[in-house]
Formats: sequence, C-alpha cells, structure tokens
Amino acid sequence: MLQHKQTNPNKIGLWRLGAGPKLALTMLFVFVTALGPRRPDAVYLIPTAVLGVFWCLSRMPVLFALKRLVVVEPFIVGVAILALVRPETKPVFYAVLLKSNLCVLAVLMLGYTTPFHELLDVLRRMRVPGPLLTTLALMYRYLPVLAEESVRMQRARASRTFSPRRIVLWRNIAGVAARLFVRAADRAERIYLAMCARGWK
Amino acid sequence: MNPAIEVRHLSYSYPGGRRALDDVSFAVAPDECVGVLGPNGAGKSTLLLHLNGLLPEHMPDQPHVWVTGEPLTRKTVDRIRQKVGLLFQDPDDQLIAATVFDDVAFGPRQLGIEGAELEKLVVSCLDMVGLGGFEQRQPHRLSQGEKRRVCLAGVLACKPAVLVLDEPTGGLDPRGRREFKQLLQSLPGTKLIATHDLELVVDLCTRVLVLDQGRLIRDGPALDVLADEPFMLAHGLEKPHALLHRHPHGPNA
Repeated sequence: MLQHKQTNPNKIGLWRLGAGPKLALTMLFVFVTALGPRRPDAVYLIPTAVLGVFWCLSRMPVLFALKRLVVVEPFIVGVAILALVRPETKPVFYAVLLKSNLCVLAVLMLGYTTPFHELLDVLRRMRVPGPLLTTLALMYRYLPVLAEESVRMQRARASRTFSPRRIVLWRNIAGVAARLFVRAADRAERIYLAMCARGWK
Repeated sequence: MNPAIEVRHLSYSYPGGRRALDDVSFAVAPDECVGVLGPNGAGKSTLLLHLNGLLPEHMPDQPHVWVTGEPLTRKTVDRIRQKVGLLFQDPDDQLIAATVFDDVAFGPRQLGIEGAELEKLVVSCLDMVGLGGFEQRQPHRLSQGEKRRVCLAGVLACKPAVLVLDEPTGGLDPRGRREFKQLLQSLPGTKLIATHDLELVVDLCTRVLVLDQGRLIRDGPALDVLADEPFMLAHGLEKPHALLHRHPHGPNA
C-alpha cells in the first residue's frame, strides 16, 4: 500500500494539505463511519459522497485502489462473516462490508497522498509510544526488502522447476514462504545488532 | 599512548559449539589502518562484532577487548559502542529508517542530540560521504553504493574513535568500489577493515591480520603478507593483481 512513488510536483488537491490534518480527517472519517447503523442505510450515502469528493481531490488512480482493496478484501469478508452468527444476520453483514470498505479506501487515500515518514513525524509529535513507532518504521522499511527477497527466491525455484503440475507450484510457494520466514528472522537478528551498534537500548 | 584497539586472548564459540575465535590477540595503534583477511568462516565478522560489544551475548567478568585503553565490560559497553563505529556487511541490515535523514540521525538521537544541532550534524555527515541533498530520499530507492555511503554517514554521525568495516566494498561495481575506497582513504582515524577485496587492502592498509579457522595465523606489514603467495594460497586467499603487475622498480617494489 505504501510503496508507491509519492511524487506530485504540482502539489494539487489533497497533496497540499499537511500530514497532520489529513491523519485527523481520516481518523474522524473512520470513527464516524464505524458508528453508522448496523444495516445498509441511506445515511451511508453521506460518507460515500465525502469519500468521492476527496477521491477526486487526491487524484488516486482507481486501479491503484482496487489492487490494494483486493488484498484487504478477504480480511474484510472474514470479519463480516463473523457477523453472520448474530440473530439479524444479513443486514449486519452488509453494513460491516460497507463500513469496512469505506474505511479502507479512506486509509488508502491517506497512504497515497502522504509520504510515510511525514505520518511517522505526526505520530511522534502526538507522543505515540516509541516501540510502536519503531515497529511501524521498520515495517515500512523492510516490506520492499522482503518482497525483493521473495521474488528472488521464487525465480531461483522457478528456474529449477520443470514440472507444470499445480501441486509442485503450490509446494514451491509454501517452500518459499517458509524460507522467507526463516530469512526474515535472521535479518531481524542482524538489524537488531546494527541498531545496538548505534546505541539502541 | 594507549592502542586504539587491543584484543587479548579472545575466544568465542557459537551456541551449538562451533569455535569461531580461538585465543586471538593483537593491538591496533591510533590512526593505523589494518586489514583483516581470511577465507569465509574464518571468524572475521565475529571478531568485529566483539569489538563493538555485540558479542558475546553475556559479557564475561574479565575483559578481552580494550578500546582507547578502556576495557569492554557490561558497564562500559554503551560508551564503547559510541567509540567503535561498525559498518555492517549488508547495508539493508543497517538502514532502518524511512528517510536518509532519519537513518543518519538514528545514532545521534540515542546520544540525546536533537534540533538544529542534529540537523547540522546529519547534513555535515552526508556531505562528508558525498550525499549532500539526499536527506529526504528513501533508503530502499538508493543504489547499493549510495546505501553503503548512507550507512557510513550514520556511523560517522556517532563520532566514533575507531571505524570497523565489514566487507565495505562487497556487492559494489568497479566504479562504486573505487569511489568508496577513495572515501575511506579521505577519512582520518583508526580503521579496521575485514574484506576479501585485496586491492582495497593494498591501497589502504599498512598492516594485515590473517585469520583462519578462528585463529590469528599472521600479523604483519600488508605488502609482505600479501606478496607471500604460498602462504596466501594455503589459507584460501591469493596474491592481489596489484602486486602481480607491480613494476619491479616502482614504489614498494
């Protein structure tokens, strides 16, 4: 979500707004939307319209949002399915789907229009606990490194995979995921040592 | 005058029993540039981690490492880490922040430096490594050579007395290697460089330590050791090209 080129030399629309107000607006949007009724209701047209206006101001490409929404959608559906265990099932299910998608889109827009380090600066000024900030910063820094490592490993596996069978493919993906996990743990150890070497306690 | 680094009878085994260092002793004089050579698995990186107090996991009561005369113990480890600037082998392990500025500022912030002083320090360190104006760049968008320079700037920002470098030219293209070598040449102070880049050793180091299977097997003038071909081959190394093609009547002939 965060690893796109955040370049907008003209600084138009939402790009002109500071990271602080944008974060506050997003949090407000998420809070108000989450408090909406537990059924699909006409009132949801208001946050949808607000989101639409901000979308136009942000110039966020539709494909950019859709790609990321597809990644998050299984989690949203998973949460919505939990609502099906309640007595009035269907309306709650649809309401959760609607609310979650609206909130995720708002967060995507924030991520699209705001460089991540500016968000971290705002959170630091808000005195968010240090370990949480460090975790966020490290996650942002190492996501592309892990992604690159995963691509390299998949290529290496593919270069020695001569069977087109699906089971072999899935086994390879599982192998890469397991190896990636081990490598990530090794790298975490080295990162920790590098941080200690520069005075981290 | 106290040696910049002194190591006495240092031994270390990794959990699992593999002996990484075996009774290693040596001293490095202030402003000396020393190369640490050896085949893979010889214990070079393990030795460097000991100089910064990152190993052993539990500090022994008796110190084995002294930095500018100060023994490395549990009580002094924080001061020693500031004195010994360690550049890691893989820059991606060392670059942890979202921007170049924040990364270079990481060490000084641990030392309590903030505000205008911090900004001035970061800018001067980036200028020193030739990356002025890179403050707001994102580390994952930099080239390998630029990443390495940012790492060095981050180390220099802690104002270390000794620079300890693990494979500083590893993974760099010839131009990157040449530029990084020139940069290291321009930096004053004590340097200990663990490397397989023997051309770098020829150009920078006056003395080398050769490790093999955790033991220090040779400690002597760089050109003498590097020119000893049978010795180099016996320990998984080779005579550098710079010495093979050296003019018989040229400098250091």
